[in-house]
Amino acid sequence: MFTRQISISAPIFILIYIIQESVISQFRLPGGGFSILMIFALTWAVLSEFEVAAVIGFSAGFLMDLSQSAAGPFGQWTLIMLLAGYAISYIGYGDDNVHANAIGIVFFVVVANLLVEIAYIASGALLGVSVGSFGEVLLTLFGMSLWALLVSPILLPIFTRLHAMIFDSRSAL
Amino acid sequence: MRNGGRARLLLVILIVTSLFLITLDLRGVKVISGFKQGSQTIMSPFQRAGSAVFSPVKNFFSDVTHLGRTQNQIKKLEAENANLKQKLINRKVADAQLNQLKSILDLAGTAGYKVVNAKVISQGSGQSFAQTITIDSGSNAGIKKNMTVLSQYGIAGVVKDVYPNSALIQLASDPSFRIGARIAGTQQIGILSGRGSRSASLQLLDNSTTVAEGDVLLARGSIADRPFVPGVPIGYVTGVDNSAGAVAQTATVRYYTNFSTLGVVAVVLSGSGSNPGDALVPAKPRVTPIPTVTVFVTPSPTPTK
Repeated sequence: MFTRQISISAPIFILIYIIQESVISQFRLPGGGFSILMIFALTWAVLSEFEVAAVIGFSAGFLMDLSQSAAGPFGQWTLIMLLAGYAISYIGYGDDNVHANAIGIVFFVVVANLLVEIAYIASGALLGVSVGSFGEVLLTLFGMSLWALLVSPILLPIFTRLHAMIFDSRSAL
Repeated sequence: MRNGGRARLLLVILIVTSLFLITLDLRGVKVISGFKQGSQTIMSPFQRAGSAVFSPVKNFFSDVTHLGRTQNQIKKLEAENANLKQKLINRKVADAQLNQLKSILDLAGTAGYKVVNAKVISQGSGQSFAQTITIDSGSNAGIKKNMTVLSQYGIAGVVKDVYPNSALIQLASDPSFRIGARIAGTQQIGILSGRGSRSASLQLLDNSTTVAEGDVLLARGSIADRPFVPGVPIGYVTGVDNSAGAVAQTATVRYYTNFSTLGVVAVVLSGSGSNPGDALVPAKPRVTPIPTVTVFVTPSPTPTK
């Protein structure tokens, strides 16, 4: 069952990765823009159980590490997204205010998006990745959160339907 | 309970795998770079297609947002108009790229650099706080890692990774970018660091030297011209920090290159063999005198009542 779900999910992840790298990356959006792959992974993680969310985070992080614009060592995004996926699923588990409520999911995704970027900066500092001045980082974090807030509600119906189709869950909004 | 145990076990396995990947990468194991190279080889055709499709659209976005609100006839006319505008914008994009290319070739020609021109096919994502671009030429065109990349105005960045038909460029604005710089004329040297924007910071190496606003910075050059060929214009000083007690003077520098409008760049395959000195310092803009008109008014001889 688990293998079947993963094998169906894999092409979707790859498709979203291709969209991110070949379409979204064409636009130098103000405020750092957004990562459709991250929003997708976090949305799915909210809707999934622990172990599935961990695998989702791991897969998304692995693809983000493959991106040319990944500045840190290979595996940094994998680790962060894995932990984020697990944590977000753990916190939202069993809470119908989150699962059955679009605003709850958007809130979770936006906050998780912000925390993931902060975790990236913190772990990057330990691993020797330069991220720029404090002001620039703050501005980028604010911009990314704003983009996530704008984009998540638009993509949410598509992502939740895909999740419901594959995982046969109760979460199609 | 059993499920919880299984989830925890899976989590531990995945964490260990991630840490294993990080360790392998930090130790420079080639399998990891092979992963990235393979992924980029697969992705570059998609990025080329994306660039071809979206290059005119991204410039045209603001113009087409008002379309589609009126009746059929107006829609048709607007569509035709949009089509013509798009063609015009395509032409403008091509003209702009041609101008950039001409300026780059002028710059490279003056210094005697051997260059390969390339088109920017992707802007790096901001999620990693890195400032990068991808170009459509790679090792097949002779590009190697750590080569200088020029824009029409001067330094644009350095080749970070090379793939057969594309290359990743670290822009000079990247926070981890460092370049040895010298001030044109005085020959004082320092290290310039990117800040994530068009401004950079310069740290002079000698505490007995000084820098002034408006001073022009050029690349000092590296051994065997890699990563940096000498003499490339970098930018000019916009502010000087004269705080007391500092070991050496620091300054804020504005790059000549506008990184958000890069369409075409040139990768320097080899330098000229000799240092061009200050030959590439951009000419200062000439001030066009504005004619002034002086009007003389003679008071009327009859006083007003």
